[in-house]
Amino acid sequence: MLYFRGCVVRDKLPHIGEATGKILDKAHLDYHILENEGCCGSFLLRTGFTDEALEIMKRNLEDFKNEKIVVSCAGCFNTLKNDYKELLGEELDVVHTSQLFRDLINKGTLKPKKIPLTICYHDPCHLGRHCGEYQAPRDVLDSITVLVEMEKIKENSRCCGAGGGVKSAYPPIAEKLASNRLKDFQDTDADFMITSCSFCLLNLKDACEKLNNEQCKASKVKDLSEILLEALKD
Amino acid sequence: MMKTNIKESEIQAMNKSFRILNERRKKLLDNSQTEKLKKQVKKIREYSINHLDDLKELAFKRLRDNGIEVIYASDANEALKAIYGIVKDEKYVAKSKSNTASEIGITDLFKEKGIKLIETDLGDRIVQFTTKKKSSHPIGPAAHLNIGDIAELLSKKFKKHVNEDPQEILNLVRQDVLEEIESCNVGITGANSLAAEDGSLVMVHNEGNISLVSMLNTHIIIVGIDKLVRTIEEAISVVKLETIYATGKTVPAYMNVISSPSKTADIEQILLNGMYGASRVVVVLLDNGRSKALKDCPESLFCIGCGSCIVTCPIYNILGYDFGYNRYLGGRGVVFSRYLRNEQICYDSGLFTCTLCGQCTLDCPLEIHTNHLIQELRCESVNSGLFKDKHRKTAQKIKRNGSPFS
Repeated sequence: MLYFRGCVVRDKLPHIGEATGKILDKAHLDYHILENEGCCGSFLLRTGFTDEALEIMKRNLEDFKNEKIVVSCAGCFNTLKNDYKELLGEELDVVHTSQLFRDLINKGTLKPKKIPLTICYHDPCHLGRHCGEYQAPRDVLDSITVLVEMEKIKENSRCCGAGGGVKSAYPPIAEKLASNRLKDFQDTDADFMITSCSFCLLNLKDACEKLNNEQCKASKVKDLSEILLEALKD
Repeated sequence: MMKTNIKESEIQAMNKSFRILNERRKKLLDNSQTEKLKKQVKKIREYSINHLDDLKELAFKRLRDNGIEVIYASDANEALKAIYGIVKDEKYVAKSKSNTASEIGITDLFKEKGIKLIETDLGDRIVQFTTKKKSSHPIGPAAHLNIGDIAELLSKKFKKHVNEDPQEILNLVRQDVLEEIESCNVGITGANSLAAEDGSLVMVHNEGNISLVSMLNTHIIIVGIDKLVRTIEEAISVVKLETIYATGKTVPAYMNVISSPSKTADIEQILLNGMYGASRVVVVLLDNGRSKALKDCPESLFCIGCGSCIVTCPIYNILGYDFGYNRYLGGRGVVFSRYLRNEQICYDSGLFTCTLCGQCTLDCPLEIHTNHLIQELRCESVNSGLFKDKHRKTAQKIKRNGSPFS
């Protein structure tokens, strides 16, 4: 199995990669990471650099074909699942970490303990609306924490503002949208907000830091793998 | 840089209006009858857009058979020229809110020619009193103004103190419009749907203003070719669904169906025009880029103009009318601007401010995949040299190092 971390995990939030690696180890899964892991193509596709994206995607196919792939980032997942099929006619065997974790818990391979935390879950656009996966991360969270819901979830999830190249070209817009989403989180009594997209996470954390708000520190926003690893500790 | 014309207070007022609208329409959108109507209208719109050239031909013939003059305008200038030809001797012309009229720049033409255009829609009239003249919703153009702003605008306009009392404001504007309309011979409206087989135009309104305007001696109707459907029955389905999504009500106060000038044959079967209503009805059938959209991006033409897509759009909720083009607001408006105008205008309207989140598709009765359309247009835009510098630099980094960050 190939674990494709994605650029945000690789370069910005490596602890997600570490947590995921530890979980895969605990499940005794045989996986590898590409030495020269590159870009999935998502950023280029969303910002109009389609030719550049296709070039990279075609190259990636050599590594992606005939592999079972697991990805951390919802953006990578949407791209590998939908864009490779649509643009290159290649149906990749890809799962998102939330789906893999759910299956491993269901099979009894992973036996997480309950942790006394209240959690809310932010649906990333790429995993939710674009891939229809709302339940897997919730199943994981349900098995280890108390899950409470925010305003605007699932199909109607409020976009965090990072996608479509907006975070890079219009940082104030991305920040404003993220702070709107953080407000939804603060309106619940949850201890943490969990998401399953590293790009959402990066943007939400950045907004927390900008807001400089005691109640909403960057450490309050986590990836699903981090909280699951917590529940798997001996 | 990003355009930031809208004020924070306008954003707040707009989002408040949108919350009320959302609350009102929530139940209605979930019920099975709406779902059924939605499916029906989807089929109607798909058929219409797939057979647009045939419907256009048929509409020409049937409208003319019904005694309506039809002028085909391939662009905004042709439309303006045709309209000016009809109104050139008028001092006052009445008008109802029309996004298509706004698209061709009718207000500027009338200003330039010294003809006073009397806007009859309350919201649109209020918007016309603002310096920016910006509309924030296709059906409720003054959604971004609160009662304090409105009272202030009217106080300035009428040079007297106007209280923050909605009824007082209504009475004041009503009286003013009714007085002004007395001097009008010509009325201009849009149409929400055009039934080709019947040669009929369907218009919806709540205030009754279209009825007033369409009863003047000459009635000019500006309508885009994308509004074509086959029959009146189909047109009614379209406008009913539009009303549900736009206002949260199942029906508007009025649906006008206009199929000919006012006429009578009560004296020996001799046909006479202009009994009570318009003796002359002129339809200006507008292309203005729609044929290009039909060829390159037909899905964008499914739109029925309900404005549902902007109500929940996270970008529209913070940028308001700065995200979109003219009266075509939000992401779908950005897409449409590519065809109505050009790539530069599309870029300037916010081609790169959309996060592609897909919420609008979910809230669109026609399920238009605006995020896909925007993504395709971005590709075209980049190939024409219109992109965000930040994106190009990141693309270069990715090409070089496989990562946007290193």
